[in-house]
Amino acid sequence: MTWEGGAALGILGIAAPAVPGIAVKTKSLLTGRRGAPVLQLYYDLWKLLRKGTVYSRTTTWVFRAGPVVMLASLLVATLFLPLDGRAAPAGFAGDLVVFAGLLALGRFALVLAGLDTGSSFEGLGASREVTIASFAEPTLFLCFIALVLATGEISLGGMLGTPLAVAWPRAGASLSLVGISLFVLLLAENSRVPVDDPATHLELTMIHEVIVLDHSGPDLALILYGGALKLALFGVLVVSVFVPRADLSGGVAVAVLVAGVALVAVAVGVVESIMARLRLNRVPQLLVGAAVLASFGIILQLH
Amino acid sequence: MTLVAVGLVLIVLAGVAAAALSRRPAAGELVFRALFGTGCVAGAVPALAVLAGAVVPDVRLPGAVPLGGWVFGLDALSAVFLLAILSVGAACAFYGLAYLARERGHRAVGAAHLLLAFLVSALAAAVIARAAAPFLIAWEVMAVTAYLLVVLEHERPEVRRAGLIYLAVTHAGTLLLFALFATWAGDAGDFSFAALAEHRQLLAGRGGMILVLALVAFGLKAGLVPFHFWLPEAHAAAPSHVSALMSGVVIKMGVYGLLRTVLLFGPPPPWWGWVVLALGACSGVLGVVWALAQHDIKRLLAFHSVENIGIILLGIGAGALGLAYGHPVIAVLGFAGAALHTLNHALFKSLLFLGAGSVIHATGARDIDRFGGVARRMPTTAAAFLVGSAAIVGLPPLNGFVSEWVVFQALLRGGVEGGARDAIQLAGLAAVALALIGGLALACFVKVVGVLYLGTPRDVVATTAREPTARMIRPVVGLAVACVAIGLLPIVVVPPALRVGSLVAGIAPGAVGPEVAAAGPATAFTLGLTAALVAAWAARGAFGRRQPRLEAATWACGYAAVTPRMAYTASSFAAPLLGVFRPVAGVRTARVGDTFATHPTDPVLERVVLPAWHGVRAAAAGLRPIQRGGLQLYLLYVVVVVAAVLLYLVATGRTL
Repeated sequence: MTWEGGAALGILGIAAPAVPGIAVKTKSLLTGRRGAPVLQLYYDLWKLLRKGTVYSRTTTWVFRAGPVVMLASLLVATLFLPLDGRAAPAGFAGDLVVFAGLLALGRFALVLAGLDTGSSFEGLGASREVTIASFAEPTLFLCFIALVLATGEISLGGMLGTPLAVAWPRAGASLSLVGISLFVLLLAENSRVPVDDPATHLELTMIHEVIVLDHSGPDLALILYGGALKLALFGVLVVSVFVPRADLSGGVAVAVLVAGVALVAVAVGVVESIMARLRLNRVPQLLVGAAVLASFGIILQLH
Repeated sequence: MTLVAVGLVLIVLAGVAAAALSRRPAAGELVFRALFGTGCVAGAVPALAVLAGAVVPDVRLPGAVPLGGWVFGLDALSAVFLLAILSVGAACAFYGLAYLARERGHRAVGAAHLLLAFLVSALAAAVIARAAAPFLIAWEVMAVTAYLLVVLEHERPEVRRAGLIYLAVTHAGTLLLFALFATWAGDAGDFSFAALAEHRQLLAGRGGMILVLALVAFGLKAGLVPFHFWLPEAHAAAPSHVSALMSGVVIKMGVYGLLRTVLLFGPPPPWWGWVVLALGACSGVLGVVWALAQHDIKRLLAFHSVENIGIILLGIGAGALGLAYGHPVIAVLGFAGAALHTLNHALFKSLLFLGAGSVIHATGARDIDRFGGVARRMPTTAAAFLVGSAAIVGLPPLNGFVSEWVVFQALLRGGVEGGARDAIQLAGLAAVALALIGGLALACFVKVVGVLYLGTPRDVVATTAREPTARMIRPVVGLAVACVAIGLLPIVVVPPALRVGSLVAGIAPGAVGPEVAAAGPATAFTLGLTAALVAAWAARGAFGRRQPRLEAATWACGYAAVTPRMAYTASSFAAPLLGVFRPVAGVRTARVGDTFATHPTDPVLERVVLPAWHGVRAAAAGLRPIQRGGLQLYLLYVVVVVAAVLLYLVATGRTL
């Protein structure tokens, strides 16, 4: 790992809570409001970390493990992305399965923590979350397979690192489709409009928010930070596919990545201000649409 | 080999002792435990040695025996299955002692232990057999003892029905095996596996027929879609420790048969690889969709066996395609992943069945919608079940993840190694099916754990749950420890799996080393992830000690009169997913007055097998007039048939 890669890892960890802030600010400005400060999440995290926690009498250790496992698995997943555009801090053959597995582990822990409360609201959110995730996971793999075909690598660090820059001139059209598909996945996996609405106030219409209804204090802080980190991780995936940075010098590559993730956050905000959320039974169709885009990305490369 | 034979004899003796001493249960169980445990260890030691690289010569029984020599051998492929059979067999047998203890007096418990011992030794004999005759005898003993164990609670009509379906299917499979060996050996008359392997060059046009016969015969045993319809019935009807053994290892004999066929047959043609891959994807996806629809915990777990057989078949399919298109690395990785997933599934599926069995044993109920909050009453069982659930979903750092990762590698390498116009590129698309299976399995096990173990009791039966005795907890915890250990140390289990893969692919062991499969870095990852999880948990605990902590009721959004009946049920949890898969899910809904209920059905059984069976019965009724019961008439039929065969031989110019 280069020192730029290490620095990028630090920046990602520290700046992640600003990513949802940028999306919210964009949405507010576009809809004629002033909106919360971009750094609002930092204030929230600071406040929550100083608070005590309330545990439901129904819950077991599973409830308390949920946020911890979710955040730990996301932090480990970060290590498999080539943040400096060349190589990842950790990586081996087939580690894209590891990346997907870590996302699934975090989801498994958090959803079970929700069900541990015995509340029907959390059950509702859990059911919706796993339904959407079931369709998101194959789509993610279609994107990965397109990248495998384009670069001839089966590790994330390889696929998104130097070989990607070589593949762009040859497979640009295909990679663009993959990038768009990954952006749709970003919206679905991170509970953004049009799949979920983070600003909704009615529990019955929530997905992610309602699973964590009973978490409070530092537990909620871990979940909020984890959510921001996950959004940033998917932002890194999208930027890495669209902008291969192996030819740039390390520092510039990291700067481009940071600017790119901020731009992705702006794009999320734009989508949120021009679209309403979809009816729940339309969400699988959206994800199948993303899967079709990625499949075209694959078909374009078969020869 | 001697040690394995001694082990098998000890296991059979253990069963005999348990049956003979059934009037003095304490002594009988003590002897059973000692002999069975020693037998399993004796058999497992040579298996481990072979997996570590030792070579054991084949043993040919002296004397004249029918159908050519009786040969037994232990290679890496036999060893991995033997290990699964003995470890899961021991766990199930020990658990069964406690599970059946209270049935003593009004059921033949001693005989049940004897049958289980026979079943385990027949399974072991089948994987070390190297000739058709001992293989088929072991196969048949296995099928019949399994049937007798399934119908242990024969006073229930659905158990008898399940047993009958199982018996019919398993014998259909045996019949196909006879056809398989007869077609393969042809006129040679030597039915040892070595002779069959040498015979493969002479097969000419019969090769395709053999591969299809093998796929159907072993697919019936493995519970591959569309031959799975007997599986959920039988596995749900059997006592829980028998279900664990059947789902864990008995159906794996189908997998063993397929791998052994590929080993003996050599590179199969590409179409066979594609068929296996497609059947694997169908089994995987449909198995988990049908599992999502179930309310009965044992039927649900049984459908997950269909799903996992699908994952194993994806590995075998990738391996076969690697052989067919000449990519040895893909072949080895595919077969290795299939073998490893077989062992892993044996461990976590028996763990899940035994964990469910403890709940059923304590409460007498099997409908997960009636439970809730069992984790507070059975903490150890719940924790072990949670480990098994995470393993079957394929989450790191557990054993299911390791084997799925190897299968994924085989599939994805198709995209890397396939050059221009190489069809193996398309094998990568099966990875998408595997990802969908993973996502749906996660949904299903979140449902099971969440509705059964977490939350609040929905029915009074859930409040009767209590932790079973240590004798029932120990096998479950032992299996959970095995799942964690394999998950944490890919570097230990991947090299033996690659040895098995190389053997099946017919490639020198060591040609595809563990560095190709990245076993070392993967171990660093699983250990690192575990360290991160433990550290995060410890840090959270230390941080939380300094802060106030309150207990309160679950937040119900301001509603005060919450009852447990309002909690999400298994049906409501699965409803959105089943809605998407409605055409294949086979869920019937019924609205009676103000109640709403869903009834899962098996579409293959209801729409294909039963109508076909009724058709056969109607056609058979047309043959009834020739059966009049007169002996002289039957003798006439015999004479006519013999004359017709002689005429046919003469007409085609053959001699006797």
